[in-house]
Amino acid sequence: MKEIESGNRFVVPALLLLSLVTVYPLIYVFYLSLQRRLLIFDISRFVGLDNYIFLLRDDRFWNAMKNTAYFTVVSVSLELLFGLSIALLLNRQFRFRGLVRAIVLIPWAIPTVVSARMWEWIYNTDFGILNYLLGTEINWLGSPSWAMNAAIFMDVWKTTPFVAILLTAGLQIIPRDLYQAAMIDGAGSWAVFRKITLPLLKPVILVVLIFRTLDAFRVFDAVYVLTGGGPANTTETLSIYAYKVLFQTLQFGYGSTLSVIVFLCTGGISLFYVKLLSRGMK
Amino acid sequence: MKRSGFYLLVGIVIFYCLAPLIWQFITSLKPDYELTMIPPVLPKNPTTDHYISVFKGHPFLRIILNSTVVATSTTLLSLAIGSLAAFGLAKLRIGYKTLILGFILSVSMFPPIATVSPLYIIIRGLGLRDTWWALIITYTTFSLPLSIWILVNFFREIPDEIYRAARIDGCTKFQAFYRIMLPLSAPGIFTTAILVFIFSWNEFLFALTFTSTTASRTIPVGIALFPGLHEVPWGDIAAASVVVTIPLIVLVFAFQRRIIEGLTAGAVKG
Amino acid sequence: MRRLLPSLLIFLIIINCAKADRDKKDVVTIIFKHGKIAGDPEPFRQLLERFEKENPGIKIKDETLPASTDEQHQFYVINLEGKSSDFDVLSMDVIWVPEFARAGWLRDLSHLLSEKERDEFFEGPRQAVSYKGRVYAIPWYIDAGILYYRKDLLQKYGFKPPETWQELVKIAQHIISREKGLYGFIWQGKQYEGLVCNAFEYFWSNGGDILKDGKVVIDSPENIEALSFMRDLIAKYKITPPLVTTATEEPTRHIFGSGRAVFMRNWPYAWNIFEKDGSPVKGKVGVAPMPSFPKGRSASTLGGWQLGINRYSRHPEAAERFVKFLTSGEAQKTLALTIGYKPTRKSLYKDRDLIEKQPFIVGLYEVFLNARPRPVSPYYMMMSQVLQPELSAAIAGIKTPDEALKSARRHIDHILEAEK
Repeated sequence: MKEIESGNRFVVPALLLLSLVTVYPLIYVFYLSLQRRLLIFDISRFVGLDNYIFLLRDDRFWNAMKNTAYFTVVSVSLELLFGLSIALLLNRQFRFRGLVRAIVLIPWAIPTVVSARMWEWIYNTDFGILNYLLGTEINWLGSPSWAMNAAIFMDVWKTTPFVAILLTAGLQIIPRDLYQAAMIDGAGSWAVFRKITLPLLKPVILVVLIFRTLDAFRVFDAVYVLTGGGPANTTETLSIYAYKVLFQTLQFGYGSTLSVIVFLCTGGISLFYVKLLSRGMK
Repeated sequence: MKRSGFYLLVGIVIFYCLAPLIWQFITSLKPDYELTMIPPVLPKNPTTDHYISVFKGHPFLRIILNSTVVATSTTLLSLAIGSLAAFGLAKLRIGYKTLILGFILSVSMFPPIATVSPLYIIIRGLGLRDTWWALIITYTTFSLPLSIWILVNFFREIPDEIYRAARIDGCTKFQAFYRIMLPLSAPGIFTTAILVFIFSWNEFLFALTFTSTTASRTIPVGIALFPGLHEVPWGDIAAASVVVTIPLIVLVFAFQRRIIEGLTAGAVKG
Repeated sequence: MRRLLPSLLIFLIIINCAKADRDKKDVVTIIFKHGKIAGDPEPFRQLLERFEKENPGIKIKDETLPASTDEQHQFYVINLEGKSSDFDVLSMDVIWVPEFARAGWLRDLSHLLSEKERDEFFEGPRQAVSYKGRVYAIPWYIDAGILYYRKDLLQKYGFKPPETWQELVKIAQHIISREKGLYGFIWQGKQYEGLVCNAFEYFWSNGGDILKDGKVVIDSPENIEALSFMRDLIAKYKITPPLVTTATEEPTRHIFGSGRAVFMRNWPYAWNIFEKDGSPVKGKVGVAPMPSFPKGRSASTLGGWQLGINRYSRHPEAAERFVKFLTSGEAQKTLALTIGYKPTRKSLYKDRDLIEKQPFIVGLYEVFLNARPRPVSPYYMMMSQVLQPELSAAIAGIKTPDEALKSARRHIDHILEAEK
């Protein structure tokens, strides 16, 4: 006999806040995306799908989409690679493990902005330590061929800890006996990794992939402060483009259109992963 | 793997994580003229000039105050509202529970840029631009998924009997929540508090958009917009970065286990 | 209740008297916001004190904004949008006035200048401060792009200052092949407003324009040609180093001022720095109007600052008096003599004192006469945001000038549709 009491009241404050601050603005942004809206000139006009039609032929939008896709794919792959390596390393017991794990967390904990300015100084052409160590004079942040990769590396540096921590937890769930049994059977460490570790880690990897892919796709802070989207928009991601249209050209209509597209894309990515997850669960 | 090889790799990992920060610290100690000369990697004449100038020349103290107020208020509010909701979701019957949980989870996947334009218009209309409240309300809302998720997991682990015993003893639902469930889930509360605090301390996009002067400007925006005449004041920025990072490093070292628990709560257990 | 009413009445009367008292108070304080005053702040202070002496009852409190013009613009947009009355007079970059006027933030100042008085000012600034036939700011001091050159080097190789771009290329190539460690021609190519100023000088001097009769013509063949030429300076003729793509005024001024370039495009402010004692190029620098292409004439982008009055100011009459004073002939002359601000009143260029003491300024008369304003439109700031990355992409060779300008055209068209 399990009589569970009703607790609707308890979720009301949370739901209220969430609806007012996220759902209502979301509806509002769709509405804005159908307008020509300039706040400072008091211009407010319904233009239907005009903005969306312009967006389809907007080469700067497609450039941002390309940049965002490249950024996402490369940075998530690298994070997974580095994160997994670090997790495998930290999986065994050793002295000071707690200390090392704390150190590994630090890049994750500092504000993205602080990290961006830090790396901006490291990448400085004339006085940056990177050029000094490599003996080069590369204009990392000002050169179209290097800027995006420099931004990616900075982002990977900052988020690898998060991946590593999650994967470590996932690794620790794998029962030790499986490893022992494999060793008794004479399996080499690479085979153990492929046949035991990886498959059992899959659910955690998937969760990590969801979070990191969404985060990378929505990236704003790091790149905005590091390069401002430059040089010549080669590092301009979707969020940065939308932000600039909104707050530098003050076009709240078209800027909202771009925001809606970002939302739809992240929605699509989430759905895709959730489908994958639910299939994996079965 | 051999012992020494292992420790070497660990060393590399530590270097990878700390090197940029250490370089920033070194930079903050170099006087201006040394910043533009690269051999001497280490400062020949270390100086605290930059640290002094960060606080004297700029209203940095005010910026730190803003961040502190906003982050603390957000944490308290998020805990209050989040724990209530988590309690209900974990222990009580709620209509459309899965739908609600799904909704809350989906909010965490929102791109902030999607809501920034309407929120800006609303906040402007309410006259809340450049105030603490604009940030506190926004941050609380966006941190709710995190709070609720972690706390639901902690509440679920408390046996139902304890709750029922409290009710039989005459507590109202709220009293049972407040007097019994909350204290029992203290570790979860703690973890949530740390994560929400860090999230709100580091947030940038909304802070950039909703604040315009140092009246409400928070640290990330302060560092991004660090004033400089013609050349960028790298030394000052480095000093400001160090100042701002130290409390976070302290937090991480003190609560590393809790933080990891919180981060992995959803991923592994969920 | 019966005793309350009389006391309430008395209370109200006292309050009103106190209020009236405050309004009748003798001194009105005008708050004047502006960017950093170049050079010695003392002469400026003295000028303000002179105004206060001539206008008892008005005090001037001047407040300096951060040096970056973008930050100043942000400050004004945020505060004026919030209808702030915290300041009365503001100093505006020449490109902000139409935007602020359209947004309704500036007081109409048309009554401050008669038709004849308006003719006193240079044409460029006059256009820039007018919106829909009304005047919203008074030009304070002027600026325009000029060509600096090393007259010692040109003399050494028997060259006269170039009048066309091709001549400049030829001279630069000739000299840098014979002198070590020199750049041929440096200019501002970073992705910011300065780049737009540079680019327009090439567009205009090739007969192109940005807006013509309200239509966007930024992707005209003349402009594409001109933009290709800018790219060629780096890639084909190699007289401009790639570092210009991240250079602003000060870095280029440093390079030229330490003797490492033959030609430089910059604003007139650099002259005084070059002629200071101890400058490596003292006495070796000449200035000339910008060169042109065969299809056009020399063009120089108009810069400079204008004084306007906040629509929400609580003391508009006093503010008007201050603005009239600061833009008057005497004030402009004083500023020219002391801190080198270039006057916006044409007559001052024939003033004997100025000719004697500031020959450099007077010598720029023709340049200022012909300086062209960037499109005088409330949407200019937005257009600039579109142009900057496109121009930067073309100069860095990421996009062809054709693609860049066509893309710019599409975006600017879209922006201007707002008014339809």
